[in-house]
Amino acid sequence: MTKRSTTHATFVIEREYRTAPARVFAAFSDLKNKSKWFGGPEGWAVASAHKLDFRVGGKESVSGGPPGGTVHSYNATFWDIVENERIVSAYEMHLDKVRISVSLATTEIKASGAGARLIYTEQGVYLDGYDDAGQREQGTNELFDKLEAFLSGKGAP
Amino acid sequence: MTTTTHGSFIIERRYDASAQRVFAAWSDPKARRSWFAKGEGWDIRSYELDFREGGGETSSFRIVGGDVPFPPETTFRNDTVFNEIVPNERIVFTYSMARDGVRFSISLASVELTPAGAGTRLVFTEHGAFFDGADGIQMRERGWQELLGRLGAFLAEGA
Repeated sequence: MTKRSTTHATFVIEREYRTAPARVFAAFSDLKNKSKWFGGPEGWAVASAHKLDFRVGGKESVSGGPPGGTVHSYNATFWDIVENERIVSAYEMHLDKVRISVSLATTEIKASGAGARLIYTEQGVYLDGYDDAGQREQGTNELFDKLEAFLSGKGAP
Repeated sequence: MTTTTHGSFIIERRYDASAQRVFAAWSDPKARRSWFAKGEGWDIRSYELDFREGGGETSSFRIVGGDVPFPPETTFRNDTVFNEIVPNERIVFTYSMARDGVRFSISLASVELTPAGAGTRLVFTEHGAFFDGADGIQMRERGWQELLGRLGAFLAEGA
């Protein structure tokens, strides 16, 4: 019998963007936009292409990793969507075949001055010691840096 | 403008039953229904269980009276997806609750079973996102306290 363990943790990340809530929302809802910022670090190989079926009950998936290395897989299901305001999904992370976490992710977008405030809350259960909330928060911050670059840079919608 | 409130709670129970029997009370449709989808003042309208990873559970129930803080005829619906199932040890699932067709919460829950003496220790942890000002997490915790109490009564009956 494998020794099982779970760690539960919650983290919140807030960001301000100088762009309309609708544009921030579109960076999550549209595959063409989301695949520009949501994915592994530079140099990772794609194991399976990014798919996004953005509706309640729909799914999102993408996997990849360092060339020849461990494949990191993200599989999400959308549970609640309020256009331009809220996205709630549950997602699983696998390292190769091993499920390492299940998380509930809430993305809230609110008008803030001339821009938008993003509040991301992740409530997670980390399984059998493969990952923890600190690493996940750091990785998520890196993704939101890329989102910021996408929203402010060239190639933005 | 939508509002979302987040919260978490943990409930621990000890049952005088083996981990196998406690697990079976979650995994076996007949056993599960007898404590999970049963209650005074509730009329169970539908119940389906597909207990496997990626499978789900749906139920809908209507209030017909009794000591519940909702008007009669209020209808609730639960949709569950099982994320992880480790027989006799762990269940991780996500679920939504809707009242009269309006979704008001999404939750992530885990059930952990560990042997404790001649019995089993159960740790139930829930993380929830509650919408539009529902007094959600406290009421949910009370709901699970009651359910886990009923699970204890069910296990004691069958002992």
